[in-house]
Amino acid sequence: MSITPDARQETPVSDPSSKSSAIAVQSPIESGATVTKNFSRRWQDLGMALLYMSPALVFFIVFTFVPFFRAIWLSFFVTDAKGETVRFNDIKYYSRILNLDGSGRSEYLKSILTSVQFTIMVVPLGIAVSVALALLATVKVKAIGIFRTIFTSSIAISIASAGVIWSLIYSPNLKLTQWILDLLNSKSTSILNDSATALAAVAFMSVWTGLGFNFIITLAGIQAIPQDLYESGLIDGANGWKAFRYLTLPLLTPTLLFLFIINTISSFQAFTQFNVLIGSEGPDSSTNVFVFSIFKSFWSDNRYGFASAMSVVLFVVLLFLTFVQFRLLDRRVHYS
Amino acid sequence: MSASPMSREINVAQLRTIDILKKIGSYILLVLASLIVLFPLFFSLSLATQGPTIAPNLLPDFGKLDFSVFGKVFEQEKNLGRWIVNSFVVSIAVTLGQLVTSSLAAYALATLQFPGKNIFFFIFLGTLMIPWEATIIPNYINVASWGWKDSYQGLVLPFVASGFGIFLLRQYFLTIPKELYEAAVIDGCGRTRYLWAILLPLSRPALATLAVYTFLSTWNQYYWPLLITDDPVWRTTQVGITAFRSSEIAVFNLQMAATLIVMLPTLILLILGQRQLVRGLTAGALKG
Repeated sequence: MSITPDARQETPVSDPSSKSSAIAVQSPIESGATVTKNFSRRWQDLGMALLYMSPALVFFIVFTFVPFFRAIWLSFFVTDAKGETVRFNDIKYYSRILNLDGSGRSEYLKSILTSVQFTIMVVPLGIAVSVALALLATVKVKAIGIFRTIFTSSIAISIASAGVIWSLIYSPNLKLTQWILDLLNSKSTSILNDSATALAAVAFMSVWTGLGFNFIITLAGIQAIPQDLYESGLIDGANGWKAFRYLTLPLLTPTLLFLFIINTISSFQAFTQFNVLIGSEGPDSSTNVFVFSIFKSFWSDNRYGFASAMSVVLFVVLLFLTFVQFRLLDRRVHYS
Repeated sequence: MSASPMSREINVAQLRTIDILKKIGSYILLVLASLIVLFPLFFSLSLATQGPTIAPNLLPDFGKLDFSVFGKVFEQEKNLGRWIVNSFVVSIAVTLGQLVTSSLAAYALATLQFPGKNIFFFIFLGTLMIPWEATIIPNYINVASWGWKDSYQGLVLPFVASGFGIFLLRQYFLTIPKELYEAAVIDGCGRTRYLWAILLPLSRPALATLAVYTFLSTWNQYYWPLLITDDPVWRTTQVGITAFRSSEIAVFNLQMAATLIVMLPTLILLILGQRQLVRGLTAGALKG
């Protein structure tokens, strides 16, 4: 039951040229008949391929592509309670969200800022903790597999379940909570009802729920570093902190960049923990992250057009982050 | 000056002591880290077994642990059993659906040669770029207008195709030698039979990875089931326990018992299917 994520095992060789070379080897002087045969077989394959891909394509069209373009469409319209378009609204919703309409009301920009704040609280801490755990989990002792399973366990725990548990950890009825509040010198009686602590409390809980995933990826990254590098490093006097600083950390940078982007994207998408732990905009709107703000426009206010415009804004932000990720991963391939 | 044999022996003994001390230190750190990581689970178990107290302690009275709460919670919340059934039905259906749609599409992309293959590749890649936030509002409007609220098809069908699943299986299928396909076709094996009788059995590790990953993430879904279930009977476990928490806000032991019960299937799956799961999670991170 030990975890041995083996990077090499996960490197399927993708070689698009193998097929064509196999055909080329077949006969250097291809007869006209073979060419026709290959040609017709390719078209036959197209029919079969369409058939094989059709279930996935149908589901994607119905539940991904059409809804996506409909969301963009809706974002330019005022809608009724059923989600039907009522009248064209130009880009008014977008200028409202981005505070370009001159009204001076910037609650949606503030909401995006709250998401950024939340991300800054979650991502660096989450990655730092998982690096520490992964280093700890590489020591060569017996039963290390059990400890690795324990460090991975939060993967199996849903954010909703974790939310219920942490809402009790933060519950004012517990002496533990009072102790933490005293430590923080806070005058309020509940961590989640104080605008100074609420967002940090949700962030801390999110670090815990993300720990299992971050740990596994970091551990796999460390294990992919060739062992002989450490041996030659040892000869040069690099052990302990030096080995970590000058060997592990630089070689782990690609993994950490990947985690950084993935965690940033998922922190931006965080909704469940806010709905379970807070269930509202929070004290002084301090936990009103953008996805929760969308949920409110969509679910409580039934403003489908406006909420669609918000989700398009979020899509653009996430797309930007995804592009950054692809660029960084491209760089990574060149490293190795 | 060379060291005497005597001092060398001492050095060896010293090194051994240091080694043992290092090991003990490692274990202490590992146990400490485990306690911290597992704290929320211990905490919920502790609260669940303390009986219906308003001010629970951090540690239960180990003399009188109250495990009856795990039965009582099913009486208190009559729907809990149904929620668990719902979650199992939905998770298994989504998992099977994804295995079928993903392996068929991945087979076409990995093995067959056909005109326009790149276009389809990018169509599937495109689905990974569209986050669920960008589609959830029209999806909700559609599903509601089809009368699929409070139904299994509403909970299952939006998740039956997965870009991640297609790419995971495609990567694996590409590792299986092309010659096998060529030989099978020359021997008169049909394309569908090759997939069914040769490719899929050879790809069991990748299928297992996708299955474990999909089951887990479907079981843990929250946003979508929250939107499309109005009737308490149709809730899934995740929506159920959060609703149960709001209704039993002061009864800590019942809340924690319900939460632990709905966590059990995924915790068991993690322990049994850890290898598969880890492979799936690291596939995205370490390919290339």
